[in-house]
Amino acid sequence: MTKRGSMSDSGEIWVIGEQRLGRLEEVSLELLSKGMALSQSMGVTLSAVLLGDEVEEIARELVFHGAEKVYLLEDARLRYYQSEAYARLLAGVIKEREPQVVLIGATEIGKELAPKVAAKLRTGLTAHCIDLYVGEVDAAPQLIHVVPGWGGNLVMHIICPQKRPQMATVKPGVLLKAARDENRKGKIIRVKPDIGDKDFSRIETLEMIEESPKGKPLESADIVVCGGWGMNALGDFSMLQELADILGGAIAGTRPATDKGWVDEDRMIGQSGKTVSPGLFVSLGASGAMHYTTGFMGSKVVLGVDQNPQAPIFQMADIGIVGDLREVLPCLIEELKKDRMPEKL
Amino acid sequence: MGLEILVCIKQVPHPDHFSEIQVDVGRGRVIGAGIPVIMNPLDRHALEEALRNKERFSGRITVIRMGRPRLQKAVEEALAMGADRAVLLYDTAFAGPDTLATAFTLFHAIQRLGKFDLIYCGNETVDSGTAQVGPQLAELLDIPQVSSVQEVSFVDEKSLEVRRAWEHGHMKVRLKLPTLLSVTRDINTPRLPTVQGIMGVPQKEVIIWNAEAIQAPLENVGLNGSSIYATGVHEFRAGRRREIMQGSTGEKVRRAVARLKELGAI
Amino acid sequence: MDFNLSREHEMLRDMVKEFANSELAPRALELDNKGEFFWEQVKRSGQLGLIGVINSKDYGGTAMGHLARMILIEEISRVYPPLGFLHQTGNLLMYAIETFGNDRQKEKYLPALCKGEKVSAFALTEASGGSDPANMQTEAALEPDGYVVNGRKSWITGVDPADVVGFVAKTGDKFGAFVVEKGTPGFEVTRREETIGLRSLPVNEFALTNCRLPKENLMGEEGRGLVCALTTIATIGRTGAAGVALGIARGCYEIALKFAKERLLYGKPIATLQAIQFMLTDMNVEIEAAKWLCYSTAWQLDQGKTSRDLAVDIARCKLYAVDVANRCAYKAVDIMGAYGLSPEYRVIGLLRDALELGVAAGSQEVMKVTIGATITR
Repeated sequence: MTKRGSMSDSGEIWVIGEQRLGRLEEVSLELLSKGMALSQSMGVTLSAVLLGDEVEEIARELVFHGAEKVYLLEDARLRYYQSEAYARLLAGVIKEREPQVVLIGATEIGKELAPKVAAKLRTGLTAHCIDLYVGEVDAAPQLIHVVPGWGGNLVMHIICPQKRPQMATVKPGVLLKAARDENRKGKIIRVKPDIGDKDFSRIETLEMIEESPKGKPLESADIVVCGGWGMNALGDFSMLQELADILGGAIAGTRPATDKGWVDEDRMIGQSGKTVSPGLFVSLGASGAMHYTTGFMGSKVVLGVDQNPQAPIFQMADIGIVGDLREVLPCLIEELKKDRMPEKL
Repeated sequence: MGLEILVCIKQVPHPDHFSEIQVDVGRGRVIGAGIPVIMNPLDRHALEEALRNKERFSGRITVIRMGRPRLQKAVEEALAMGADRAVLLYDTAFAGPDTLATAFTLFHAIQRLGKFDLIYCGNETVDSGTAQVGPQLAELLDIPQVSSVQEVSFVDEKSLEVRRAWEHGHMKVRLKLPTLLSVTRDINTPRLPTVQGIMGVPQKEVIIWNAEAIQAPLENVGLNGSSIYATGVHEFRAGRRREIMQGSTGEKVRRAVARLKELGAI
Repeated sequence: MDFNLSREHEMLRDMVKEFANSELAPRALELDNKGEFFWEQVKRSGQLGLIGVINSKDYGGTAMGHLARMILIEEISRVYPPLGFLHQTGNLLMYAIETFGNDRQKEKYLPALCKGEKVSAFALTEASGGSDPANMQTEAALEPDGYVVNGRKSWITGVDPADVVGFVAKTGDKFGAFVVEKGTPGFEVTRREETIGLRSLPVNEFALTNCRLPKENLMGEEGRGLVCALTTIATIGRTGAAGVALGIARGCYEIALKFAKERLLYGKPIATLQAIQFMLTDMNVEIEAAKWLCYSTAWQLDQGKTSRDLAVDIARCKLYAVDVANRCAYKAVDIMGAYGLSPEYRVIGLLRDALELGVAAGSQEVMKVTIGATITR
C-alpha cells in the first residue's frame, strides 16, 4: 500500500485490540484513550480491530472504552495468536478499509505482528512511542510520534509524511486507560476471515501456557521501588522490599538485579523490559543508563538514590540523594515509618 | 545434513558507555565517535544458537552486518567465536534507514548469497531496540518468523518447535524450514572465543558489498527507502526538577521525604 | 614504530577480560578465603586455549607467543592473581619439555597440560637457597636401568595438585633436569607452607627418597639440567611474574580510581583532592612504564631472541613490574582508607598477592645482580 497521505485524509484511526485466551490486554484500552484524543483533533472515526474466537464480549468492551466501530474477525482457528494468519488478515482488512493511522500495543505479540503487517503494506512503523499528537512540521499538520531518545530526558520526534497507514506501537503502561462507559454506542462489524490450511502449513501456535505472576503487579502500581547494581552493598532486596511495603508499592529491578536473582525477570525495568509510569518511581543504586531510564521516564515524580554524584540518574530525577545505600535506605525507612505511627493523644 | 545458516549482527555502542554519547539537541544528531563498540549482546546469543546447530548438524554459518569497514569488532568477534565467513554491506546509499529499508538491504544481499535454511537475529538491539528488522526481513523473504525465542528444538530435518515468551508465560510454536528466529537472552549462554578461534580469524573470508553489488534498487534502501524519519530531539515534558538534597544523610532523607510529600508523591 | 597491538592480540585481551570479569571476579574472594586449589578455573583456562600459548600446535598448544601470554596473564591477574601465577609456574615445565624434551616426552605430557586437565610444577629451589642453585644437594645417582633420586625441594609452587613435576638434580658434578609423575614411589609431598598471598595456590616442600626414575625421564642432554632450568625460569618464570605484577598493578589502580571518583568527603569526591590525584598519577605513570618494559621484552622473545640475548630485559621487566605492583597496591589501600583494608574491596588481597612476587622466579636482588653484572662487563 503506497498511498500518498496527508493529514486531511478521512481515513479512520484504528486500534488493534489484543486478547489472549479470552482476556483483553489493558494496553488496548490505553490505546483507545489516545485514539479518542487523536480522532477528536483529526476529526475522524476511531475504530478497533479484534481477532480471535468467541470474543464478541471483548468487542463490546472496546466499544465501551471508546471505539465507534469494531471490526470483528472470528474463527475457531484464530483462538491463539497465529503469526501468518493474523498478519495476513490484518493487512487484508487494512488494505480494504484504508485507515490512515494504526496503533498496536508493543506487547510480545504486538512487537512481532506490527512489523510484519507494516512490511506487507510497505509502510512506516515507529516502535514504543511514549506519546502521539498532531503537531506542525514545515507549516503542515503532521502526526508526531514521540519515541525515547538518547539518554536522560530526551525524546525524538518522528513523522511518517507520505505512506499510509502510518503505524505505531506503544508500550503497555505508558498511556492512561480510557474510561469505561456502558452507555457508549458502537457498531460491531463482523468480517468473515478467509483463512485456509495454507495459513497454518508453515507455522502454527500449538499452545499458550500461562504462568501466574507473583507479588504486587508492576504495571498498575502507583508507586514503584526499583533496585540496581548498587544494592549489592546490601546483599539482596529485603530492605528494598521493606521500603516498598511501607510505601505500598511494587518492586522492580534493572538488568544487573535480575541477573543476580534479587528480582524476577518480569520485573525488569528498561528498554528490553517493562515500562512504567507510576505517580512515584524510586530508583535505588541504579546509575541511570539510557536503556534503563526509558523504562520509567513517564513517571510523575522520580526519587533517585546513588553513591556516585555523577551518576546519570540525577539528570532523570526530581529529588536526588547522593549517599551510601547502607546508610540512606535504613534512614529512609525510619523516616517513613514515623508517618505510620499513631498519634499519641 | 548441512545447514546454511545466516546470522544478522549489529555493531553498537557499549551500553556501559551510553552516558558518554553526546546528543546535538539542536540538530537532532547523535555523536557516537570514540565510544567503545561491541556486538549487540542479543546477537551473540543468536550466533551461539547457530554454532550449536552447526555442531549438531554440520553446515556453514555466514554473518552479515551493515556498517563501515573501518571498525569491525563485531565481525571479528563473530568469526573468532566460529562463524565461517562474513558479509559487510557498506554504501552511503544505505545510510539513514528505517527498519523496513534495513530489511530491504539485507533482503537484496540474501538474494545474492543464496538460500538459507535458518536465519538467526537477536530480538532487539541495545540502541534502537525496535525488534522490527527480524519480522520485516522474514516478511520480505516470505518465510515464517518467531520473536522472543527462548528455546529451539529440531523435530526433524525440516521442522522445528520453538518456545516463545509472552508476558504471562510462553507459547509452543511449530515451524517449517526455512525460517527466521529472533532470540532472547534465555536461549543460551554465548561462548567466549578461544585462542584457536582468534588466531583463525585472518584466514576467514570477509566479503564487502555496496548497493550495486547486491543490485539494491535505491528507492528501497537508506533514507530514500524510509517511510519515517526524525525531525528533532527534544526534552520530554517539562524536564525533571533535579533537586539534590544537601547535608548529613539524616538531613538529606528528611528533606527528600518532605519534598515528596509537597509534590504529592507520597 | 607501530605501538599498536595486532587485532588478534586485542581480541585476546577482550576475551580474557570477559573471562576474568564474568567467571573469575564473582568467585575471587571466596576462592581466596577457601585456600583450595581452583581446578574449575584451570580447566576453563585450558578450554579457552590460554594455557598452551607458548606450545606448538602439534601437542595441543596454540603457539600464539610470549606477548599473548603476557597479555592474558595480565588480564587474569587483574582480577584473580592465583590463576595468573599458575600460568607462570605451570608453563615452566611445558616450556622445558617443548624446548629440551624429546618427541615422546612432548606427546606424553603436553596435550593434557595444554587442556588444563593436568597441571605441573617446576622445582629448582632447595633449603640451600633458590638464589644459589649450583649448591643444591638433591642427587640423581646413575644406575644401569635409570636414576635413583634422593633429596628435598622446598618453596615450590603447586606441587600438591600437580600431576607431573620437573626438577633439577646433581649427578656427580653435572646437573640433569628430570620429570617425575605423581604416584611414583619415593616421591612425596611433605609440607604445605602457610603463605600470606596467593592463598589458593599451595606452596610445597617435597621429598625424593630412593625414587627410581627410568632414563626416559631425563629431559634434554645429560649435564645440561641447570642450563635448561635457568633458561626456562628466565624465559617463562620471570616474564610470567612480570605479567602477574602488571595485572595486580592495574587492578589496584582501577579499583582505587573508581573509588576516588565516588567517595565523598567534604561534599566532593576525593578524586578532586590533589593528594589523591598525585597518588593516582604516580600509579598511572609507573604502570604505563612497566607495561612497555614488559611488552617490548615479550615482543622480542616472539621475534626469536633468546633469553641469553634478553637477560637484562627480562630481569629488568620483572624487577620493575613487581616493584610497581607492590607500590600501587600499597597506594590503593592508602587511597581507600578503611575500605582499603576490607577484603571485600579487593585491594588488600591484591597487596598480599603482590608480596609473593618478590621471590618468584628469582628474587628482586638476583634480578639486580643479573643486570649489574651484565652492564658492567
